[in-house]
Amino acid sequence: MQFDVFTWLGGLWDWVIGVLLWLWGFLMWPFLWEGPFDFFAWFGGLWDWVLGIFLWLWGIVNWLIFWVVDFVNWIWFLVSLPENFMFLFRAIVFPGLIFILLALIFTVWYTRKIWARLQDRRGPMHMGKYGGLQLFADAIKLMSKEIIIPDKAKRWMYRILPSLLLVIVMLPFAFIPWDPYWNILGSPTSPFPDLSVSLVLVFAILTAVPVFSLLIGWVSGSKYSLIGGFRAANNQFAAEIPMVISSVGPAMLAGSLSLYSIVMAQTNIWYIVLLPINFITFFVAAIASVGTFPFDAPVADSEIIFGWRTELSGIYFTVVYFAEFAEQMLYSALMVTLFLGGFNGLPFLAGIVNFAIKWLVVFFLFIVVTSSFYRLRQDQVVHLCWKYLLPLSILNVVLVMFALVYIPGLVPLVIGG
Amino acid sequence: MSPDILDESSVIWFGPQHVSAHGWAAKLTIVGDYIVECDPNAGYFHRSAEKCLEFRNFRQGSMILERICMMEAFLAEYPYIAAVEKIVDLEVPERAKIMRTIMMEFNRIHSLQFWWGQFAGELGLFVMLLWPWVDREYSLDAFEELTGSRHTVSYATPGGVKYDFTPKFLAKMETALKLVKDRMPVFNDMLAGSPTFRLRTEGVGHYTAKQALKWGLSGPNIKACGIPMDLRKDDPDPNLAYDLIDWEVPVINNEEHPGESDAFDRLLQRFKEIETSLDIIEKLLPILPEGPIIDPKARSKTNRLPEGEGYGRVEGTRGVTSVWLKTMAKAQTPWRAKIRGPCFASYYSLKHIVPGARFADFPAIFGSLDPYPGWWDR
Repeated sequence: MQFDVFTWLGGLWDWVIGVLLWLWGFLMWPFLWEGPFDFFAWFGGLWDWVLGIFLWLWGIVNWLIFWVVDFVNWIWFLVSLPENFMFLFRAIVFPGLIFILLALIFTVWYTRKIWARLQDRRGPMHMGKYGGLQLFADAIKLMSKEIIIPDKAKRWMYRILPSLLLVIVMLPFAFIPWDPYWNILGSPTSPFPDLSVSLVLVFAILTAVPVFSLLIGWVSGSKYSLIGGFRAANNQFAAEIPMVISSVGPAMLAGSLSLYSIVMAQTNIWYIVLLPINFITFFVAAIASVGTFPFDAPVADSEIIFGWRTELSGIYFTVVYFAEFAEQMLYSALMVTLFLGGFNGLPFLAGIVNFAIKWLVVFFLFIVVTSSFYRLRQDQVVHLCWKYLLPLSILNVVLVMFALVYIPGLVPLVIGG
Repeated sequence: MSPDILDESSVIWFGPQHVSAHGWAAKLTIVGDYIVECDPNAGYFHRSAEKCLEFRNFRQGSMILERICMMEAFLAEYPYIAAVEKIVDLEVPERAKIMRTIMMEFNRIHSLQFWWGQFAGELGLFVMLLWPWVDREYSLDAFEELTGSRHTVSYATPGGVKYDFTPKFLAKMETALKLVKDRMPVFNDMLAGSPTFRLRTEGVGHYTAKQALKWGLSGPNIKACGIPMDLRKDDPDPNLAYDLIDWEVPVINNEEHPGESDAFDRLLQRFKEIETSLDIIEKLLPILPEGPIIDPKARSKTNRLPEGEGYGRVEGTRGVTSVWLKTMAKAQTPWRAKIRGPCFASYYSLKHIVPGARFADFPAIFGSLDPYPGWWDR
């Protein structure tokens, strides 16, 4: 039995009429009473009245129970449709939420371990094998910490914004083509095909990230946080445009704005071979956009303590810390998709394995670059992004345009087979 | 600076709980991204070292001093000993003189290694924070081998030194110094050779030699302006061995702005300081004679000093470090002691150097001056 909203609503009118009639009878009974008023007769009718009320209540409860059962049945019916079930499984378990969370935990460990090796340290050692459980221990510690909200903070915003930031950063993972089949959106056989503009949508969602940084800095009620928030906005202002323009090259070569189609177009040749400079500009702009080490002016600890995160503590800090790593992971995944052929690679490996290998390599590059440069001042960030990255990426777009028109064998090569 | 600019200013306290302000607090007035006023505040690190000296006898006093700045413990304790040796007539053996000098130069290298790491960490490169600190462990191991403690060494004593060099110590010192020498090109690449480092330090924290003299700066901060002002050459202590060998005062001359220095020049100056220290140790080790390490009468002579005044000073890592002692006859402790640290001048010169800089440059400026709060609060 399927729940139908309109049938359900159609019964509403009867119910309203019934209520009105009952009210009318209740108001009119003194006037409709025939003969002399017999108190006991009147009193004897009370039982009927009480029973009526109980019946009415039971009706409501009955209706509610049936409604809930119907609703659950309806959801179960939807879930049990094979394509819906697979979509939910993908969205929640495999390339979706749980997979991303596990990957996030692995990434934090991986980053800390490689940072430590670069810095002549050992990194996490004691919790689990090679410190693999360190992040769980850290998470438990951070979550059980006292949450201190400053007096001048806007409490409601302060509480809601870190979680919203994490949600916003996690959303674009839905559009990443991990595998020819195992995607959240975008496998050709599923009823939820990839959106034709998923590349644009990813950037559109990511534009909200600095807004959250700025807002967190603003509502924290601290000068260090406020300065950090403005610096985060400044970083994004500098890095967003070069990054978006760098992603135009692959989109033009593939002739599509859909990430899935861009990956499918790289079966013959990976675009990093054709667009190495574009890859580098995207890479640098991505680091600047995340705001990690060479571009960590928003959270520069020797200047503004911890920037817009200064006043966050406990679970809010954990969430924001995860969001930063998730953003790095997202940009690495985008680079794999746009330049390194996504799930194309060694034919005897599953698509997701190919993807993961390249993802780790790009992330390794991320870590090496983030631990080799001194922090740039925020005006130098803008200087770098607008004077060097932006002209380079625009030049690349122009070159791609000319190449597509004038190099004869290029188009069949780059649109894949 | 017109008054309406100051209407939009806001005040930020840089310290005392700030992560990179360890024991000090500067009140910064900023307009937009620029600092228009800097008000350094002392007093967060005060441990009344001068008063403590009045309650320690003449062999104990130096241990108070090395706790003021543990990075340069050998250098910090020496001015007190020099002051005692000025008051009472002690014959320091030749071997002890050379050993003191070697240890002071070794400690200078260690202190500068620490400073590199700290400076790079303040500029946001944690790799460069930890690499010199790993090397520094070898220096600390050598100190531990010689004196039994890693930081508060209390090595020199009036009349000589406390412990003799052992072969094991010499081997450890050689390891540490060889590591410093081998890694110098690496660190040179990672600091002076790094384009991002040059971006952050060139033209930042700029002052002229004339200003430096006026503010009373000393040590590497003034040598970076091209003034060869070095106590090791200008006023060699009779109980140290600097005049036994031939060496040159490390001075850099920037061709682009002679007589002036910025944060980058001060880094190069400190590189040169390390080279000079390595050179001095290299020249002193072969001429180390055999013999006693302490005046045999030192202990009895320093129980009670004659009435007098003594002023001992030494070229520390951060500048001129000196102690003035006033003693009374038959007293076991000084009547009054005055410590003059090198960093008071460099800390309060922030007041003149910083205005006009960007807020993000503030760590680069104070990092390049290498202020240590123990030296101004004592």
